[in-house]
Amino acid sequence: MEIIQVVGIGLLSTVLILVLKEQKPVFAFLLTTAAGILIFLFLLGKIGTIMGSLERVAESSGMDMIYIKTVFKIIGISYIAEFGAQIVRDAGQDSIASKIELAGKVLIMVLAVPIISIIIETVMKLLPA
Amino acid sequence: MAWLSDWLRELILVVLMAAFVEMLLPGKSMERYARLVLSLLVLLTMLSPVISLLKGDASSELNLAMEQTQQGGFWSSGGDEGDSLQEILRQGQLLAAGTREESLKLAAGEVAGQMQEQITAATGVRGVNVTVALEVNHGSGGGDVPVISRVAVTLPGADGTSAVQPEEAAIGEAEAAAEEIRIEPVKPVQIQIGEAEAAEAEVREDGAGGNGGAADTAAEEQAESIIQLLSQNWNVERGRIEVKNIGSGAEKS
Repeated sequence: MEIIQVVGIGLLSTVLILVLKEQKPVFAFLLTTAAGILIFLFLLGKIGTIMGSLERVAESSGMDMIYIKTVFKIIGISYIAEFGAQIVRDAGQDSIASKIELAGKVLIMVLAVPIISIIIETVMKLLPA
Repeated sequence: MAWLSDWLRELILVVLMAAFVEMLLPGKSMERYARLVLSLLVLLTMLSPVISLLKGDASSELNLAMEQTQQGGFWSSGGDEGDSLQEILRQGQLLAAGTREESLKLAAGEVAGQMQEQITAATGVRGVNVTVALEVNHGSGGGDVPVISRVAVTLPGADGTSAVQPEEAAIGEAEAAAEEIRIEPVKPVQIQIGEAEAAEAEVREDGAGGNGGAADTAAEEQAESIIQLLSQNWNVERGRIEVKNIGSGAEKS
């Protein structure tokens, strides 16, 4: 029944933010951030459970840890970037939000560079010289 | 067939994981990028037998590449590069110094061997031990010129044999100690003062001194000839040549 708690937190914070926004827009923004962090922290444990089970399955089946590591890094980068970008976007700073997203995308692409280089090297070796 | 089942299992797991992770992704904006990386991972898994055939283990290759990417951090990549360049230059200098030292050592050995031959040919003394120390002189032309900084010549004893080896000496001492020690009782001391005996003793001492002086002179002459030979042939300052004679204990530089 965690979903009820999450929705409760969300509804409550929304009402409070709507009230606060008329008086103090800055505090409304702070409340938005706090509610977002609260829900995120609430979900962090669940995400950890999923990651742990994935890791366990991969370990037991003899899969290489480097693949798992890469995938986890992708998930982490995208979650953090998305979260930060949404908070900033709520505060009305769309341009900064898009920069944060850009940083997330670039960092995900950096993870792809070693994989791409290995694949390209292999293909180049397969081709006759 | 084991590799085939391993490969298939890994492939299935990676595909399943990719589908799972794609669902976990938060917004739409990251989806395309994450999908690209995941599909590359699937491709890498599919190619892993080929990669292991051509390059070795695929996952270890990927591990190595990841570590290389991680070393230059997000913020500090520029600084790290500078540091590593400095480090590389420093290591290069160390290597060059080590190589120069090695070559100096080699050259010193060669020079010592040639000097030994020359001394043997000129004086007929065998078993001469020559030690040469070289140092690099920073020439005015910019080039480094190795010069002979010190020559140490050790002549064997007068009878052609070197001094008693330390090990042999130790063994001799040990044997002496093993023997039974007998101390004779001290005889009553008698003192006689006579002029004749005193004169005899003086003569004896003079004779011994004369013999020693002759030996010293011969050794000195030999050393002098060796110094002259080396300074002429090798263009070394006389002060840098040191000749030791083990037999007489004489030393000349």
